[in-house]
Amino acid sequence: MLALIYFIILAVIALGAAVCVLLSRHPLYGALSLITTMVALAGIYGLLGSPFLGVVQIMVYAGAIMMLVTFVIMVLNGARDSKTPMFDKVSLFILPSVIVLAGLVGFALVRAPLAFDTTALRGSVALTSKTLFDVAQTGPGYFILFEILGLLLLSAMVAAVLMAKKRLGSIETENTEDNH
Amino acid sequence: MELQPIFIQILALALFAIGILVAITRRNIIFVLMGVELALNAVNLSFVGFAKTLPAELSVAGQIVPLFSIAIAAAEACVGFAMVILIFRNRESIDADSYSNMRG
Repeated sequence: MLALIYFIILAVIALGAAVCVLLSRHPLYGALSLITTMVALAGIYGLLGSPFLGVVQIMVYAGAIMMLVTFVIMVLNGARDSKTPMFDKVSLFILPSVIVLAGLVGFALVRAPLAFDTTALRGSVALTSKTLFDVAQTGPGYFILFEILGLLLLSAMVAAVLMAKKRLGSIETENTEDNH
Repeated sequence: MELQPIFIQILALALFAIGILVAITRRNIIFVLMGVELALNAVNLSFVGFAKTLPAELSVAGQIVPLFSIAIAAAEACVGFAMVILIFRNRESIDADSYSNMRG
């Protein structure tokens, strides 16, 4: 019963903040609403019994990714572009189609028999680390994915730096290459 | 009345729908990227909600995969915002309709 009350509170916060993202005009307010949604979702992860995932959600999503979003909003100073309308006429057709999609998927979900299994393991730090770094040959092999993810993040970082540089191969950069 | 798994799935579905709606309808390119993040979050919630309906050993995978999904979302946000900065320098606008120089 108590779990249900907590869930309803967190779900209302998450949904309300998500609607705020849809309706807010300034990108910074949208980013703040998105952070609220993510913190509420982290609470739901803790409620469901995956505390490690909740902490990762706060650290990576609400911390790192939203910091990046806020940083980009401040760098671009997108607020001065306030002449752009929020929605256009195409939105009128997208709204019913998304509602119909949600209705169809919701219908399929409601018909599916779902029940919590009491033997489901709690996603604690110990269990997560044991599964993630299980290098045994019979293990699930998540550590390979983990290494590949490191490579992916490194390449994404390099790509971001290369793309956001002022001008690639311009005279200044060629000169600095000649100097050393 | 106890907490049912279907409530979590409905919440995830609603968040996903709102995320898709934000990503498609908003004109501001920063809101488009934030909508994609919202939809990714909803999918993670769905993963965890389904994992809790599985018995002992089977319920581990559903709690590990969202970690990878979060890391991939971080990479996506990194590259996506670098592209936004790059195009913003040329166009001086964050309206998604002004980024149409690659249309067929």
